[in-house]
Amino acid sequence: MADHTVQESNDPEKQGKPEFLLPVEDEGELRKLLVPDPENLPATPSSAVETNFVSYFAPDFTKPGHDQYVYRHANGLCVVGLAPGHLAFKDEGGITAVDFNVGKSDRSGMKVTGKRKKNAQHFESNTAICKVNTKADSYIVRCCVKGSLLEVNDRLIKQPGLLNSSADREGYVAIMMPRPADWLKVKASLMSGEEYAKLREVRVLN
Amino acid sequence: MPGETEAVSLSGTPTTAELAAVSNEEETRILSDAIRSLPPQAVKDLLNSEVCIGCILRLFGFREHFHFRSSISSSMLHSVLGESEHLEHYGILAGSKSGEELEVQQIVCRMCLGILQYLYRNDKGILVQKLSADGLAASVDEMIKQDGHEIDGFSLELSVPPVLLEHDNAVWSYMKKRYGQEVGIAEETSKCVSVKDALKLAITYPIENMLDVKSSSIPSSFRIRLTYSQTKPSSSMAKSPGETNGSCKRRKTGMMNDVRMSFSVLVSCSFCFCFFAADVNGVPVRSSNFSGDQKSSEPCNFPLEKVNEPYYLALVCCRTPIYIGGRYLKFSRNVSQTRWIIDDERKGESSVEEIIGSSILPACQGDSYKFHAAGREDIDVRMLGSGRPFMVEVQNARRVPSEAIIKETETKINSLEEKLVAVKNLKLEVNNGWGLMHEGESEKQKQYCSLVWISRTLEDEDVQTITASKDMKVLQRTPIRVLHRRSPLEREKIIHWMKVERVAGSSQYFLLHLCTQAGTYIKEFVHGDFGRTNPSIGSILGCRAEILQLDVTDVKMDGF
Repeated sequence: MADHTVQESNDPEKQGKPEFLLPVEDEGELRKLLVPDPENLPATPSSAVETNFVSYFAPDFTKPGHDQYVYRHANGLCVVGLAPGHLAFKDEGGITAVDFNVGKSDRSGMKVTGKRKKNAQHFESNTAICKVNTKADSYIVRCCVKGSLLEVNDRLIKQPGLLNSSADREGYVAIMMPRPADWLKVKASLMSGEEYAKLREVRVLN
Repeated sequence: MPGETEAVSLSGTPTTAELAAVSNEEETRILSDAIRSLPPQAVKDLLNSEVCIGCILRLFGFREHFHFRSSISSSMLHSVLGESEHLEHYGILAGSKSGEELEVQQIVCRMCLGILQYLYRNDKGILVQKLSADGLAASVDEMIKQDGHEIDGFSLELSVPPVLLEHDNAVWSYMKKRYGQEVGIAEETSKCVSVKDALKLAITYPIENMLDVKSSSIPSSFRIRLTYSQTKPSSSMAKSPGETNGSCKRRKTGMMNDVRMSFSVLVSCSFCFCFFAADVNGVPVRSSNFSGDQKSSEPCNFPLEKVNEPYYLALVCCRTPIYIGGRYLKFSRNVSQTRWIIDDERKGESSVEEIIGSSILPACQGDSYKFHAAGREDIDVRMLGSGRPFMVEVQNARRVPSEAIIKETETKINSLEEKLVAVKNLKLEVNNGWGLMHEGESEKQKQYCSLVWISRTLEDEDVQTITASKDMKVLQRTPIRVLHRRSPLEREKIIHWMKVERVAGSSQYFLLHLCTQAGTYIKEFVHGDFGRTNPSIGSILGCRAEILQLDVTDVKMDGF
């Protein structure tokens, strides 16, 4: 186990060891277990999304330039959103507004409850989730995956800018829950991050 | 004379001295005297109606254990009732003591259906005739020894079909009508000793003797259960109405304080499906009012119906679950808390449950175990510091482990070659630890240490900001990683305090120590979970934050 030193800062509060007590008989033993070896720390660790999700992309989904991503978790849930190559990002000023009132209902109004996800609506992959507006135009964002719509990112209503700054994280659009059989079908039509990056000459993932 | 018998002992369980004093001859004499004290015509009437001696005696209120331990011999009965009488005229023949020949075709008592004759069908359906209560006790003893139980006490549970109460009532009311005045028979049926009480009196002492233990008034965890039933017992025999299942985890405290208590419920008559309420003694309350209620048969009348088959007896000896508790530590990031198998493949190397349970089970020589803990941590999260409280519930332990054995088990677990898990404060839990477990899971604060990376340099200002916040409220939407099996909710949680410890040699890594409310998702608090946890370390510092590892350093709970 490498020796460790606690870096002192000028802040008087931070002199010496942290002043709170770690609740064990042998504090020293515990500290040894907790403090990492800096040699083993990667400069940039992989993100939570990279570790826990597999990224898929759907370029030109139903319309040219409507690029979307699907991040699939090991438990089968899919986070969908706008991929970096989406036309909306090319418009000047970027995305200015997001409206979930599409089709027959306002997607932001649904309430899914319980472990069995009651009241979740079942949608096709081309069902509209929301509309994103730029100064010039508006674009429909779709489910991409056939299944139950569990959640929409209603924060986008008040903060549409999240799409411009971090469409791949805080700017996600919705969470879908496809059935295993439906997933397998749509998976075949999606491409990997690597392929997408090459296609659009952009960087994907963090 | 009744007077003589009462002089011996009035308590249910005679002392050893008293019993020793009653030799075989003495016992026979007391029995004979007892029978002689009864109106002979009444006795003959009952014998003719195929009622056994044990039932006759209890009907008239004799309640010493030796009245029911074994029956008087035919010859003795002969002499009691008078030489001139021919026993063949009597419907029932007394069971024989050892040394005399048994009748080939034993007549089954119509009142107790063989229970007090020690006549029954065993679990294989074979007809068994024991000569006395000692024989039955010997079967119990054999079963216990075969199973390897080590006991220092027992609780006796007897279950008989409720129709027997009806029999008692029917016979008693007939006797009262016919012989009431002559005999001075008691005004209330409560003077009768029920079949259950008689049987309990009879077999308690021989069982105590053979097992070399005492049946105590405090319920022992070891149960000896005799269940008499009309039909062949199936595997669900134990769960008759009102009876507790030894391994049922819902009823732990305050159950089964007394054999009788568990049967003072609304019981159903297995014969005619009528219902009647029974009091503490198992004697029906106003049964005559109830029994006419339901479909089919009328209330039983005297003489009772002929019985061709005795009851089936299911004998079960087992221990109610015992609990071994303590705190565990988990040093591995590849060990889940409980067995985790998906698609026939195990996740992780092992589980805390199996590591601990597989050592405790042999120490108790139990059948199986269940693992309970005050909360849980992910497979890749270590449990350090004071450890997490847990309890292992052991079914049907053959022995209650001593302190020494428990200490040995603790050492054994802590000395395993792969230091994946350790235990502390291992001990036998006597009080109800349940409440504490659930409280620990949902109410107690937890302390963590996480290794955090941010996408820019950590400034002193950042450290200040983080450290300064106390009791910060965060709103967490159900993390995506558990959203498939938990309700989509927004839960407000409190981060009580946080401390930052810089990591030498790095400007972007630091150790985040935090103390949070129970139920807080720490990982999501660090990386934000797509912005669904708010605030998060990332949002507080205005940059991206990732968590590389997490350890639980304290589960604040007393009592374990």
